Amino acid sequence: MSGGRRLDELDRQIVARLSEDARISNRQIASELGVTEGTVRARVKRMEAEKQIRITAITNIDRFRQGALAWIWIEVERSHQVKDVARALAAISELGFVGEMLGRSDILAITMVRSNEHLAEFVHQRISGIPGVRRTESTLGVNFVKHDYRMARIVS
Amino acid sequence: MALSPQREAAAAQIELDDTDHRIIALLRADGRLPYRSIARELGLTEATVRARVRRLEESRTMRVVAVTDIEAAGYGMLLAIGVQVENRSPEEVARELAAIPEVFSVNVVVGAQDLEILMVAEDQAALHQLLQGRIATMAGVRRLTPSLAVNVLKNQPDWVPFHDGDAP
Repeated sequence: MSGGRRLDELDRQIVARLSEDARISNRQIASELGVTEGTVRARVKRMEAEKQIRITAITNIDRFRQGALAWIWIEVERSHQVKDVARALAAISELGFVGEMLGRSDILAITMVRSNEHLAEFVHQRISGIPGVRRTESTLGVNFVKHDYRMARIVS
Repeated sequence: MALSPQREAAAAQIELDDTDHRIIALLRADGRLPYRSIARELGLTEATVRARVRRLEESRTMRVVAVTDIEAAGYGMLLAIGVQVENRSPEEVARELAAIPEVFSVNVVVGAQDLEILMVAEDQAALHQLLQGRIATMAGVRRLTPSLAVNVLKNQPDWVPFHDGDAP
């Protein structure tokens, strides 16, 4: 992957502040870091425009009592179909992660479901019918121990 | 899904109404949207919006944060790894793995694997060091089944666990 998207030291300091609480004002960050408000505003704007950061609301999974993460591994019929199947999966709003993988299977998709039955139904109705899908293997999470929300691959 | 008593308690229960959900939706789309704009959009006063956001934050229901692209942060590789555990509880191994900064997601699962983790590495050498030098030698780890993400089309986990000790 390219290194052109990397953050410099001031970017990182601004992001460190924003990754704790992004509702803080530019003025507050500027005074803490000893730079001008305009600098902070321009940096944040650039990092968002270049998809180096995304500023968003995240909600606590514990608030959704019946939620469990499901990992769905998808194998395609023919290797050249990986891209199209992955694109079709990325369009499914319930999926929070879709990646083309090397190794265990062809594609990994992650979603949140209410139960094993809900997972089976979701896979059957939304994934199995996508042209090119050969087989799927699903794993249901029982304890979500960690997710560092500060990291993600920002693609859109 | 069974939650530990601490986590039950940590997620202080507040009733969310339609206005809360609409505020969350606006902030998901743009976390820097000014209070004034949210107020105008929803036909509320700015003070009401501020109070609502504060309540969502204080009850640990929602946080507005910056998410950094892993590549921009200097990590060239993203992997999903299945972990089989023996002679130790998967929960214990999960907690030890969770202490590694590069391991950014840890789930205890049921199936052929005992844990599913997501991790990043700067490059192949750093990856090898993490896998062989640190994770494979961890007590209780029997086998690692890694797979490398070569193209991530989507990564927007809006639901994450909040833990005590996390900021703020």
